[in-house]
Amino acid sequence: MTSLLEGAKRLVTRSGDIGARVGGLDAAVGAARARLDDEVVDRAQEVVQRATERLRLSADHTVVALAGATGSGKSSTFNALTGLDLASVGVRRPTTSWTTACTWGNEAAPEILEWLGIPPRHQVLRDSMLDGNRAARDLDGLVLLDLPDHDSTEVAHHLEADRLVRLADLLVWVLDPQKYADALIHEKYLRPMAAHRDVMLVVVNHIDEVAADRREGMLADVRRLLDADGLAGVPVLATSARTGEGIEQLRKAIARRVADKAAARQRLGGEISAAAEEMAKVSGDAKPPVLAERDAAELNDAVADAAGVPLVVEAVHRATTLRARRATGWPLTSWLTRLRPDPLKRLHLDLSRSDRDLVAAARSSIPEATQVQRARTESAVREMSDKLSAGLTRPWAAAFRRASVSRIGDLNDALDRAVGGTDLGASGTPLWCRLVRAVQWVLLLAALVGAVWLGALAVMGYLRMPEPGTPDVVGVPLPTLLLLGGVLAGVLLALLSRALIAVGARARARKAEQRLRNAVARVSHELVVQPLQVEIDAYRTTTDGLRTARR
Amino acid sequence: MSHLTRRQAEDRPDSARMVTILVRLREALQTAKLSLELPDAEAARAARAGMLDQLDDYVVPRLIQIDAPLLTVVGGSTGAGKSTLVNSLVGERVTEPGVLRPTTRSPVLVHNPQDADWFDKARILPDLERTSRSSADPGALQLVASPAIPPGLAVLDAPDIDSVEEQNRLLAAQLLAAADLWLFVTSAARYADQVPWDFLKQAADRSAAVAIVLDRTPPDAVEEVSGHLARMLISRGLKDSPLFVVPESDVDENGLLSTDKVRDIRAWLSSLAADAEARTAVVRQTLEGAIRTISRRSYQVADALTTQQEVVDRLRRESDEAYDKAMADIDRASADGTLLRGEVLSRWQEFVGTGELLKTLESKVSWLRDRVTSAVRGQPQQARKVTVAVESGLETLIVEHAEAAAERCDAAWRAVTAGKVLLDAERTDLSRASRDFRARTQRTIRDWQQGVLDMVRTEGADKRTTARFLAYGVNGLAVALMIVVFATTGGVTGGEVGIAGGSAVLGQKLLEAVFGDQAVRRLAENARKDLRRRVEALLREEEQRFLALLDAQGIDPRSADRVRDAARAVDDLRFSSRIV
Repeated sequence: MTSLLEGAKRLVTRSGDIGARVGGLDAAVGAARARLDDEVVDRAQEVVQRATERLRLSADHTVVALAGATGSGKSSTFNALTGLDLASVGVRRPTTSWTTACTWGNEAAPEILEWLGIPPRHQVLRDSMLDGNRAARDLDGLVLLDLPDHDSTEVAHHLEADRLVRLADLLVWVLDPQKYADALIHEKYLRPMAAHRDVMLVVVNHIDEVAADRREGMLADVRRLLDADGLAGVPVLATSARTGEGIEQLRKAIARRVADKAAARQRLGGEISAAAEEMAKVSGDAKPPVLAERDAAELNDAVADAAGVPLVVEAVHRATTLRARRATGWPLTSWLTRLRPDPLKRLHLDLSRSDRDLVAAARSSIPEATQVQRARTESAVREMSDKLSAGLTRPWAAAFRRASVSRIGDLNDALDRAVGGTDLGASGTPLWCRLVRAVQWVLLLAALVGAVWLGALAVMGYLRMPEPGTPDVVGVPLPTLLLLGGVLAGVLLALLSRALIAVGARARARKAEQRLRNAVARVSHELVVQPLQVEIDAYRTTTDGLRTARR
Repeated sequence: MSHLTRRQAEDRPDSARMVTILVRLREALQTAKLSLELPDAEAARAARAGMLDQLDDYVVPRLIQIDAPLLTVVGGSTGAGKSTLVNSLVGERVTEPGVLRPTTRSPVLVHNPQDADWFDKARILPDLERTSRSSADPGALQLVASPAIPPGLAVLDAPDIDSVEEQNRLLAAQLLAAADLWLFVTSAARYADQVPWDFLKQAADRSAAVAIVLDRTPPDAVEEVSGHLARMLISRGLKDSPLFVVPESDVDENGLLSTDKVRDIRAWLSSLAADAEARTAVVRQTLEGAIRTISRRSYQVADALTTQQEVVDRLRRESDEAYDKAMADIDRASADGTLLRGEVLSRWQEFVGTGELLKTLESKVSWLRDRVTSAVRGQPQQARKVTVAVESGLETLIVEHAEAAAERCDAAWRAVTAGKVLLDAERTDLSRASRDFRARTQRTIRDWQQGVLDMVRTEGADKRTTARFLAYGVNGLAVALMIVVFATTGGVTGGEVGIAGGSAVLGQKLLEAVFGDQAVRRLAENARKDLRRRVEALLREEEQRFLALLDAQGIDPRSADRVRDAARAVDDLRFSSRIV
């Protein structure tokens, strides 16, 4: 894989446009792996690999393959083109069992031939010196292959032909008057390879065997079949290797392709387009979805509900209220409220800092994630992935869903931990409450003093003892004022505090809620949003890569 | 017709029995469905179609009229020169040869004028229209009467076996399967092609009578090519087939080869036509071979049918498992008291009083009952809240499990190619619960709650006037019953008992006070069963979406056995007696 990437990187600098397209397809393959159908991705990867390999090899050489049915005259044409008697020719079918390669020019292309898998004994270097001045060096750089047939009873031949048909830069299909309408060549080769029509030539060999007045009709028929295969525009040449008719035109046509050195890239371009097209068909080309802030917020709300955040918040509210009332209430009545349990304690949340960490690590026991809550979280997650994958094709929608629920098993535990580990800020009593408490005790003391004083007065009155003078404050005797004032002020203070507590508890609950929601959001981001984001990115990479590859 | 000694099937009881059995086999094959995409399905489908054609076109008609003329089908590759050969054999231009490939036209059957009525539609090749003119319709059969063909022989010019026209290929295969004798034409350029050899291999397998014509051979290549071809024939089990060589030569102005080029073939055919014994031998060889092949291939089709059934069973099992698991999960979740935590619990606590009070209640239930009574009586709307909480809890539970089951089932089906094909062909995405599932779930739960209400009402019919019944009200009791239902299996353990168990205990006590403990147990059991039944129906309906795909395939578990039985009967008769 690294060598592949390296190759791809080198391509970008070396081969410009085609390199970028290979890179695009490679990126798409990488991102689509395990998300789209393996078969499709494998095929595209094969194309990437082949293209990378071919582009790394000599760009000055053009590999031209002569392919066709047995007996259609591939070897005769090969010999006619080389001017040498290299390939064996005969009436016995199938004649050619191996591929012969002939390289034109001064330079052999061992790398290419090795890549093509042609053993040295079947390689010929045709030095143009041979031609002397007779022919221009217009074929320099040509690697001509004479393939075995694809339709005889020898299966090994088909395999060899299939292998090389995939590798050649330019394909010359050699047909003959008897076999040009065979189902095999049309259905197995020409029609599926329609994307490569720019790097194809069709030769109708043995044309000398057709009566002169019928040739035109036959060629028109060949044309018709090729058009039906989607190969409109592919040149059709009539040749006869035996009489030499048309060989010169074929030679020129090949020379032209060899000279402009574009065949390899055209061929690879066609391959890449076809592979990218095929992938795009299953991948779809909808715009990549965007994970909107609002959707994430909706998910967080749902998850928070499922994690019992409202319940905890309510408990905080109630606990702070209860505690503050206990502190600020009139001491006598607030003693009674102690009988009521502290909701936070019941949730095991209100422990000292270090203890809480311990419990949180083990397991918080806010209403344990029940089946119902779990189900509710899961539907929220599902809904989100559905919304995101709305316009996408099925494989992607499936990938999104897989990703969204991939860590749902951890979700509930993580939520438990997050809720349990959040500092609710609900412990301790506020300072003013403690002050009020002191005042309350003072008032109670005053009332007690008043009561005792009045009691003493009453006892002394009962015993007919002289009543000691009581100081008056604004016309009311002091003990009475102490007793009544103490009680009244205490009750009033308690009532006043209640109003303040209501406000304060609400604020505390809000703060706790904020913290809890943040904690939940972190969890859902890590376990749901992020995996989904990865899928969205993969989709974007695939779509972009395919767009680049198809350009 | 006088020269023919017509022996009809009635005179040959074995033959008549064979016809009956073959018709039964045909029926079994005809009704068998191979609609799932399995690795062997395509081949089995082709085999089945081929056998049906061959039974209709050849075997059954041949068995019924054993004395019909010998049907020689001239088949071969496109461009091998079949038409020219047929024309030259007949001595006149009955079919149109062309340089253009493929030559699409109706097949032509040439026969002696005396034999005309052997070839009407009712007797042979029933699905081809008969015409007397040349046409391009591949669904027609052109009949030409020519005295050049000896009586007792007919020559049929079939289309190409390998041209781009698929229709030609299919028709050629069908016609060759209906032949008594194959006259297989190939050429010097063609003789090593794979497609014709596949056909010849078929012929060898079913020991059909074959003669090979090596056509269009350059004179200087005759020796080498014919020698190589002869060796190929021997190595492929066709050593008894005569081999005729027709050298490549110019045709005359009628498009015919000169007579001496086809003399050998014509002489061989004439002698065959003249010799009734030899003719019968050819017919017997081909017919017996055909019957043997049909019975053998029937077993293959039967095996393919069995595989289809196995895959259907497997897919059915997968979907059953997925939905059974959903049912079990819902069952467990609704019975172990987990539903009683969370919202349902808090609503229930509000209903019976305050949560804090509950803690002290367990020990003093009797004291509590009065408190509860007042709570219930005082807050009738609370009962409604519990009902709603139960409904939403159950709904979420059921919907989510149905979603999960659909997903599981979809994944399991997609692991099998045939299942994947079925799912992909379906327009709706079955990996999700159906669109209206939530609505149906809500309706189901409400129906169940209504059912519980009715149950309580019926049970309390004779207690309607009792003080307690009046105190709690039908609604209150129904709610209590629901709460009891969700904790009947007593799966609640440990610290939960205090909360969830306590609530259920309270509900139970409340009910027992009204109905007595026997009745409460029965009521809870019934309500549970009712819920189960309803949820089960709901899920089965969901599963049915998958099963409907299978049912639509129409695969009958008995068809494999039917085919096998019929094939066995054919074999039995084949071994026990001579048919022809």
